[in-house]
Amino acid sequence: MRSSTARRLRVKVKPMDKLKQQLREDAAKIDVTISPELDDRIRASLEGVTPEKPRPQGARKPAVSLWWMSSLTGIAAALLVLVILDRNRPAPAPEVQPLAEVETLRPPLKIESAVLTAPLARELENLEADLRKAEQMVMADIGLEPR
Amino acid sequence: MSDELKLIDAAKAGSVTAFTELVRNYREGLLRFLLTRCASYADAEDALQDTLINAYKYLYSYDPRWRFSTWLYRIAIRNAGKLRSNYTTELGELRDEENDPLDNVIAESERENLWQSARRLLNDEVYTAMWLRYVEDMSINDVAEVLNRSNSWTKVNLLRGRRTLDAELNRTAPASESEAYG
Repeated sequence: MRSSTARRLRVKVKPMDKLKQQLREDAAKIDVTISPELDDRIRASLEGVTPEKPRPQGARKPAVSLWWMSSLTGIAAALLVLVILDRNRPAPAPEVQPLAEVETLRPPLKIESAVLTAPLARELENLEADLRKAEQMVMADIGLEPR
Repeated sequence: MSDELKLIDAAKAGSVTAFTELVRNYREGLLRFLLTRCASYADAEDALQDTLINAYKYLYSYDPRWRFSTWLYRIAIRNAGKLRSNYTTELGELRDEENDPLDNVIAESERENLWQSARRLLNDEVYTAMWLRYVEDMSINDVAEVLNRSNSWTKVNLLRGRRTLDAELNRTAPASESEAYG
């Protein structure tokens, strides 16, 4: 029983071990060397570089001291929105004041209605007369006797 | 204090000699790794140079909780990515049948080098994870840190990478070896 389990395990594990070994061997077959020229080039480049220093801790303000800024900004933004909304709101309708009693102005002159309509009546008569004349002329032109 | 930490402190103070000594043992591994990620040997050398310069310049930001190699590889990957972004985006696109830089540095063998297969079959991140885990012997934590991924992502993708390459290895292995795997 134990030997069959061991055999099964060996069968399962072996390919992976073989793979790992093969991966290492194949990586080793990639033949690279650091040439003296490359070594010199790298060294020369490094000579021209100054390692950066970490930023001093004191130079950075602690984030805790700014916590209230976000609250204030929020409140200010809310107020601004309220002001804008308030300004854009349509102006309230003015309260209707009862109009003061004003005496109706009456025209000072008494004009008869006939005086006002007489020119219009005359104009109408003239137009009707013109129409009649025109009708007669047309009848005459086409050779018919006027009725 | 370990020798490495002493060298780091000296390098932080501006000693190029200490820094050169510090990275001496990592340079070949880095160049080998960069070669598999760059379009040419010259690009890989440039990426190595940039990596070491950046490491020296920003050494103050190194966190000693992590292995120094983890930090170096993180910078190297970023530099290789910057170089590559100028002309290509994926590792697979680097593969030029006639001018593949790996072809020039890999000895002739019966089958394709597994890392060439990996470059063909795996995506960028899984390839890197496989390299860091199986060539550089990094822990899952370190691999995840270099790739800026979670541990579970790293484990799952390493497993996928292994399965893919295992299938490739079995496919290309001579018949007698294939039988041995059952």
